[in-house]
Amino acid sequence: MSRIGVFVCWCGSNIASTVDVEKVREEAAKIPGVVSALDYKYMCSDPGQNSLRNVIKEKNLTGVVLAACSPHMHENTFRKAAVKEGLNPYFVEIANIREQVSWVHEDKERATAKAVDLMKMMVEKVKRDKPIEDVRVPLNKKALVIGGGISGIQAALDIANGGVEVVLVEKEPSIGGRMIQLDETFPTLDCSSCIMTPKMVEVNQHPNIKLYTYSEIEDVSGYIGNFKVKIKKKARSVVEKDCTGCGECWNACPMHKNVKSEFNLNLSERTAIYVPFPQAVPLVPVLDRSVCLHFKKGGKCQKCLDVCGPKCIDFGLQDEIIEETVGAIVAATGYDLMETSMYGEYGYGKYKDVVSGLQFERLLSASGPTEGVIKRPSDGKTPQTIVFVQCVGSRDPEKGVPYCSKVCCMYTAKHAKLFAHKVHGSQSYVFYIDIRSTSKGYEEFVRGTMEQDGAVYLRGRVSKIYEDNGKLIVKGADTLSGNQVEIAADMVVLATGVIPKKGSDKLAQMLGISYDKYGFLTESHPKLRPAESSTAGIFLAGMAQGPRDIPESVVSGSAAASKILGLFSKSEYEVEGTISSVNEATCVACFYCQRVCAYNAISRKEIKDRNGNVVKVVANVNPGLCTGCGACVNACFSKSIDVKGFMDDQIYAEIKSLAV
Amino acid sequence: MANTKTDEKLQKIAKDLLESGEVNLIIGYTKGSNPQRMRPVFITKPEEVEKLSFSHNAVQDLAVFLKKQEVKKYGKIGITVKGCDEKAVNSLIQEYQLSRDNIKIIGMQCNGVIKQNLADKGETKVSETTVYDKCLICQEHTPVLYDFLIETEEPELSLSGNVKPYADIEKLDELSTEEKNAYWAKEFDKCIKCYACRQACPLCFCSRCIVEKNMPQWIDTNSEEPGNAQWNMIRAYHLSGRCIGCGECERACPVNIPLMLINEKMARDVYNLFGYKSGLDINAKPVFGVFSENDFNDFIK
Repeated sequence: MSRIGVFVCWCGSNIASTVDVEKVREEAAKIPGVVSALDYKYMCSDPGQNSLRNVIKEKNLTGVVLAACSPHMHENTFRKAAVKEGLNPYFVEIANIREQVSWVHEDKERATAKAVDLMKMMVEKVKRDKPIEDVRVPLNKKALVIGGGISGIQAALDIANGGVEVVLVEKEPSIGGRMIQLDETFPTLDCSSCIMTPKMVEVNQHPNIKLYTYSEIEDVSGYIGNFKVKIKKKARSVVEKDCTGCGECWNACPMHKNVKSEFNLNLSERTAIYVPFPQAVPLVPVLDRSVCLHFKKGGKCQKCLDVCGPKCIDFGLQDEIIEETVGAIVAATGYDLMETSMYGEYGYGKYKDVVSGLQFERLLSASGPTEGVIKRPSDGKTPQTIVFVQCVGSRDPEKGVPYCSKVCCMYTAKHAKLFAHKVHGSQSYVFYIDIRSTSKGYEEFVRGTMEQDGAVYLRGRVSKIYEDNGKLIVKGADTLSGNQVEIAADMVVLATGVIPKKGSDKLAQMLGISYDKYGFLTESHPKLRPAESSTAGIFLAGMAQGPRDIPESVVSGSAAASKILGLFSKSEYEVEGTISSVNEATCVACFYCQRVCAYNAISRKEIKDRNGNVVKVVANVNPGLCTGCGACVNACFSKSIDVKGFMDDQIYAEIKSLAV
Repeated sequence: MANTKTDEKLQKIAKDLLESGEVNLIIGYTKGSNPQRMRPVFITKPEEVEKLSFSHNAVQDLAVFLKKQEVKKYGKIGITVKGCDEKAVNSLIQEYQLSRDNIKIIGMQCNGVIKQNLADKGETKVSETTVYDKCLICQEHTPVLYDFLIETEEPELSLSGNVKPYADIEKLDELSTEEKNAYWAKEFDKCIKCYACRQACPLCFCSRCIVEKNMPQWIDTNSEEPGNAQWNMIRAYHLSGRCIGCGECERACPVNIPLMLINEKMARDVYNLFGYKSGLDINAKPVFGVFSENDFNDFIK
């Protein structure tokens, strides 16, 4: 026989002002099986919890219903209190009469009626609750970090320094990501490679980090604690362990024209066998087979091999699949710049001297195509006037994306500043919509660009850019003065918006994590669980989640790492017991459940007799992967699968409780 | 009428299959005691293959037997199927109820089977007025998948266009929701919950049907409203995107509920909304087992 206690919370006036809590309590007391009904000002307070515990003890309750706030808030609080009195935590049910009643309704009478209904439903549910044990999953204490940019590197280093093995996978030939492409960084103007390369080297030297560059994730299966990862190590054509990085090969390569350097964003050329930049980690070249004469001309050219001392160039190397088992994953896949083709009026791609912000970084960089001397791509002359255009693609729902790319205000201010420092007597103009400079030292930095470095900031958009007599004529509006502006510039730098890295949506699908409509990976909770993905054991870091600057990327890398170290500090991972379970007697193995499961949690199970003959095949739920979402329950024709704690008979009783 | 040449070919194939041990059982048709009817036959011995026959009276969908435990225990099975019935075999393979390796499909080319009630009255000619509606819309007179094909000697079914298959679907589409409900309430009122529709369906293969689940009792068991509508609509939904249109449910229904109107309407809707037709490809993912970002979602408000 059920002995249910109902506790109605006022939440101060949050609930009590809209819901007649005494009436809810009175109605509760009338329900058969309810042996105690109380109302209290703050059930979550210590006295509230104590009264709950006292009633459980005194009345020997078999179930508890709290008519209170959302279970997201205090379900855990009340479960823990119940556990202390020896009750299974899943015998505590919450009727949400705050978020679902008092906060969204005004009419007290009807709100009270709804609160009573919700309470009744939960009483019927709790009567049918069965004890549920949480699931314990063993952990493989090894982490995979996808992406070797600053946030991935930070995550890898933090995890490795915590004594845990890390596999770091980077798609490009070298780690370093976008940050290593930058020149100096705002707001302190320390040179990016000076602060980045020590971290890259540390990764390479770290005994706990296994680094795979020029590699991609081919497949991910499994679940928290036990992910099976297939990594495709693309054929580098160079045997890494033998290569000394001496550079003879790329110096000997005859293909030194016509192949654009990806690292320098097409502003320079590279050879077929190349390292993307001098400080590459690992300092092992990659042979680009799509342009290499050896591959294009039937094996005749082998100049690189001829000069190679250790003879570590192997034209026959094949892609290799490496399998790793890890307990947790960090997705730090980074970003790309938007295409700007929809802004035909800006002439990007048409006029050589209209460049993107990232290209300008390369022109500023000492390791860039111009060795840090600012030269126009068209004729190599030093520009005297540069126009910077902010929000190219960002904050433009019509043509681009509605979100703010966050870093452009700051890097444009930095560009203008560095331009002033490098070309004395030069002039820069910045077209902007708003200036967003909210972190430590940022506002002062932008002010400095305006006041000390003389950049002219014009609030407005550029309508057209065209070439005239070797100059770029920029036409725009200065909305503060109300004037049309026309500037004859030597160069134009577009602060192009950022978008998620190409292919990160595919990776997200492989990982079974969610992403938003732009392709940015989404957090489990935007505020309170910013490092976690929607899937247990998979964490997020860096620009893959959305626009952010270097300090934020570093913080997010560390956050993911600390989550993983915390997870690995226990021997097992505990999963909520509210997961699917299969009725093996009635399952006919049509596997619609498997087809609709977004978490790959369902597999085939063979039931054998004692002679080992298969007598039946049924669906089987992997507790480590199942999130209890219930998609399988809907897909099952014979109702042979159910989510514990949300069983059919419970839902049915809840609905029936409403029919008076 | 049974054609000797067709039967000979069929018997030869069956004999070879049984003798070579490639199958342990052949499910086929044999002549019934009534000359206008055929009935299912189960052959396990090569010397019994002479019983096998095929004609325009072979109305049954023999794929229904593939779900039976008594049949499954034979392991490797040969089956005689018309194009429509063969789609049920494909669906069973798609839904893991049958392994392609365990089935030998003897595909029978078919230009239509004569409605049983007309055949009983002596109708012997296949024509657009004598065959089932499913034959008029049939795209698979030759089965889509087979190990052996026996070509038909029946003349091709000529369609004048005057006979509209499932014409009542369009008529019902014209009605208001209330009128539709009234129409179906009247039809379902006849239902006696005998579940013959389920038993005759090759794709109703659950060992415990939802109607038999009583913790909780989803569907009222008494044969009156609302249980009748609950049963019939849940049956239809469980077959939407799956029904291959063999029409056996309707043929089995002792009270003549026009179940094929629902099934065919569902099939048309699924095709219009998802571009999917059931039973055509053993490797296709069943339409309600896949999610595509392009799936329509206008119903989410």
